[in-house]
Amino acid sequence: MDDTNRAPDLTDLRPHRPEHVEVEVPETTLDPALRARLRTCTVAIIGCGGLGSNVAEMLVRSGIGRLTLVDFDTVDERNLNRQFFFRDQIGAPKVVALAENLQRIRSDVRLDLVAERATHDNLLGIVRGACAIVEAVDDADVKAMILNTCLTELPDMPLVTASGLAGYGSTNAIVTERMAENLYVVGDLTSDVRDGHPLFASRVMAAAAAQAHAVVRVLLGYLEP
Amino acid sequence: MKVDVVLFAHFSGFQPDGKGGRHARTFDLDEGTTIADVIAMLGLPDEPRVIFVNSRHAPEERVLVEGDRLAIFPPVAGG
Repeated sequence: MDDTNRAPDLTDLRPHRPEHVEVEVPETTLDPALRARLRTCTVAIIGCGGLGSNVAEMLVRSGIGRLTLVDFDTVDERNLNRQFFFRDQIGAPKVVALAENLQRIRSDVRLDLVAERATHDNLLGIVRGACAIVEAVDDADVKAMILNTCLTELPDMPLVTASGLAGYGSTNAIVTERMAENLYVVGDLTSDVRDGHPLFASRVMAAAAAQAHAVVRVLLGYLEP
Repeated sequence: MKVDVVLFAHFSGFQPDGKGGRHARTFDLDEGTTIADVIAMLGLPDEPRVIFVNSRHAPEERVLVEGDRLAIFPPVAGG
């Protein structure tokens, strides 16, 4: 075989990996008190699929101290086109696989894993103590249940939800709106996977990024999106 | 009594003027009208929905009062 067609072996070129790496917005650009605030926050992410897995990654990189990850499902081959998982994680519980990936980014992030389906009965116990909740499930009924339960029982806890992220539509149509006092809605509000719209990584991740950023803004005290 | 009603996404097509859009319409309702009564009057489909009155979550059995702003949001699938 012609050696010029082989991928180069980069093993020896990898730099030394220190034990502790600081992953967050640098002090030079974010006030230490605000960095500390993010470090002390817990964010509960309900659903660790296309939205939730990517929201989790971005919140970890942003310096959030602790995440509660909730998902009953396992990693499937069909998830890899948009979710923050890898081929060798197929079959693993999503919360376990996601925890592995997040700790590769930041080893000191604290993670609480809940490998269960979120229900009306267990939801409040799961999110208790969080600074903010991210609704990131795919089913519209479950989305409504999460919103109705949390907004009724925890009206003062910020909740970031997503609605309308499927299809080919422009990412410019994905907006963040403060629909009620502590409810932030991300999406175009209309594109529904039940109408046969595909889920593209680019559009799903645009929505996930908007959700993650809404969380960061709220935790930093900016209440308008 | 006057109550403003905002319908999001595809629910907006159920506004009585049939013009859609998410801007508020002012309804003239009888005293004692509940949110459920308004939903029935509009003919909203039986789909997942989240309801707010004056930017706070509200149950369908809530009785509306003069000056309330009722908003109804139907989350759609995908995540």
